[in-house]
Amino acid sequence: MDHSKSLIDQIEEMLIAGILGAMTLITFANVVTRYGFNKNILWALELTVFLFGWLVLLGASYAIKKSSHLGVDIIINVLAPKPRRILGLIAVFICISFSLLMLKGAWDYWANFANLPGTEGRWFPLGFEEKYRNKGWYEVNDIPHPAILGWMENVFNEGEEYEKIPRLLPYFVLPLSMALMLFRFFQAALSLWNGKTDRLIESHEVEKEFQKDSYQLLDKD
Amino acid sequence: MEVALLFSLVIGLLIIGVPIAIALGMSSVLFLLVFSDSSLASIAQTLFSAFEGHYTLLAIPFFILASTFMTTGGVAKRIIRFSIACVGHLPGGLAIAGVFACMLFAALSGSSPATVVAIGTIVIGGMVQVGYSKEFAAGIICNAGTLGILIPPSIVMVVYAASVEVSVGRMFLAGVIPGLLAGFMLMTTIYIIAKIKNLPKEEWKGWKEVFASGREAGWGLFLIVIILGGIYGGIFTPTEAAAVAAVYAFFIANFIYKDMGPLAERRQNQLSTTFAEEPTRKSLWLQPWAIATAFFHKDTKKTLLDAGKLTVTLLFIIANALILKHVLTDEQVPQQVASAMLSAGFGPIMFLIIVNVILLIGGQFMEPSGLLVIVAPLVFPIAIELGIDPIHLGIIMVVNMEIGMITPPVGLNLFVTSGVAGMPMLSVVRAALPFLCVLFVFLILVTYVPWISTFLPNLVMGPEIILK
Repeated sequence: MDHSKSLIDQIEEMLIAGILGAMTLITFANVVTRYGFNKNILWALELTVFLFGWLVLLGASYAIKKSSHLGVDIIINVLAPKPRRILGLIAVFICISFSLLMLKGAWDYWANFANLPGTEGRWFPLGFEEKYRNKGWYEVNDIPHPAILGWMENVFNEGEEYEKIPRLLPYFVLPLSMALMLFRFFQAALSLWNGKTDRLIESHEVEKEFQKDSYQLLDKD
Repeated sequence: MEVALLFSLVIGLLIIGVPIAIALGMSSVLFLLVFSDSSLASIAQTLFSAFEGHYTLLAIPFFILASTFMTTGGVAKRIIRFSIACVGHLPGGLAIAGVFACMLFAALSGSSPATVVAIGTIVIGGMVQVGYSKEFAAGIICNAGTLGILIPPSIVMVVYAASVEVSVGRMFLAGVIPGLLAGFMLMTTIYIIAKIKNLPKEEWKGWKEVFASGREAGWGLFLIVIILGGIYGGIFTPTEAAAVAAVYAFFIANFIYKDMGPLAERRQNQLSTTFAEEPTRKSLWLQPWAIATAFFHKDTKKTLLDAGKLTVTLLFIIANALILKHVLTDEQVPQQVASAMLSAGFGPIMFLIIVNVILLIGGQFMEPSGLLVIVAPLVFPIAIELGIDPIHLGIIMVVNMEIGMITPPVGLNLFVTSGVAGMPMLSVVRAALPFLCVLFVFLILVTYVPWISTFLPNLVMGPEIILK
């Protein structure tokens, strides 16, 4: 079954599975060390929370690709193919606008943490800001900075040592995920336009696949 | 006025087929950009703080993972065997056992659709085999599955606790009596129907079978002790309890039941009946390295991925709902609604009716957790003003969400049941209807008898101190 999947699919799925597994093990390990060795892993909670954010935000674009986002389909189900397609195109246009706005917001928020300029403008980016505050030295609360990321000190912190990882690392998922989301919505728009799909949200056709899945699950018993 | 615009925008977007998460997010973004001076950057920050700032929500992926492991890992199957051994000999036995199994599984898992999948895939087929109609079977499981969010642990309760900042532990305890009561009401209804319609009963296989199946299922049921005992014994936080539950479920599935992972013997090519014979399994002693390989086995990866996908779609909705919540609190909408309602002279009873109506209507269009994130902060201040216990309010909301899950168009349990039973949506809706009435009666009961929800938490954790 894995052979039919593209490399990107496999990478994304490995990330989703891997991050969730890591979150679980870290939280579990924290309980074990608290009772087994009488101390907490200080950075466990914060790392889990950041992984949680990464999981959901990165996963959101994967869910677009698999059209597994939930929605209301009672209206679009009763429409004829043609108006359904038009509504679908309007919906995807709204999603693309959302991704664009959020991409701008995500960049503006993250950029300063990476010593980069945010953008001017309220709705649309109207060029980069000229004056801004470098926040590259902002660190998270608990997660220690690993030696392997030592190069970041020169790039973002004028060579000064990071004790904890800089905030720009966890927040990087914001622009990254919004860009991915934008890309996936463009793809979805394309396949709507070409008539390959007729909706963005999870449809009842999925049920058949789902049903097959659950019977397979039974077969294993 | 502007807020009315906001809500109509949300509904408009939903209707044309925009994903729920984007509909919530986009409406909030437009509203903030037009009517307030928040920047896009601050909205992005709010989106991220859904995770950074809500430690409680972290319990959700772990509960999802634990219940996915239990579904694929054969816990459900053993619970069903145990249930049939216990109550199968009553009139309508298999149906009552189905409800009982749903209740037990609900005590291990925090989600209703998961309960329907776990129990429904096996029980519906089994019931049809012994002569029940498919509609009857689907209707029962569809309704009993909703207990998944009422009997602790519960994802919806975690969401409620996170959005109005009450204790998750209290909420979980509060769900126990209502959960048992709802299950009991459903079972009684089935019993009466069975008496009238003379539905088939199973053979009583004796106490030996009860104990044998109980011992088998015990490994899974021990999770109840871990979760509830762990939380109320002060051993770990609800989030940690969920993570421990997930790891425990993983071990049970791989090394005790061996229904998945490296020790499971894969049989090829078979069209199984519902109660297939046991596969042969390898012993851990002969394959000690399985302890390590189980973590990377493709079954484990698949389970993680399934749970991950569910987490993503659910939490993306919640994260965007939190942006909307942010808008509402910024605009002081809860306070306005509160003062409007209080000045109109609504008492607690009228208020609770309004809450019920809002949630019942909203629950038909929205995913339950997302709806709770938005509605809970709106009605919470009013409830406090009127002297309604926050925990009681929470249980009312959860029961409303249960009903929302079996009313179209966005009835998650309906989707899942129609998939599991292989029936069209509309027939599932019709099948669920008679038992839906039972849940309605139950809702009225829970709404106007606060004692049902508040007795246990007050007994165990002391009376609630309401900070205002």
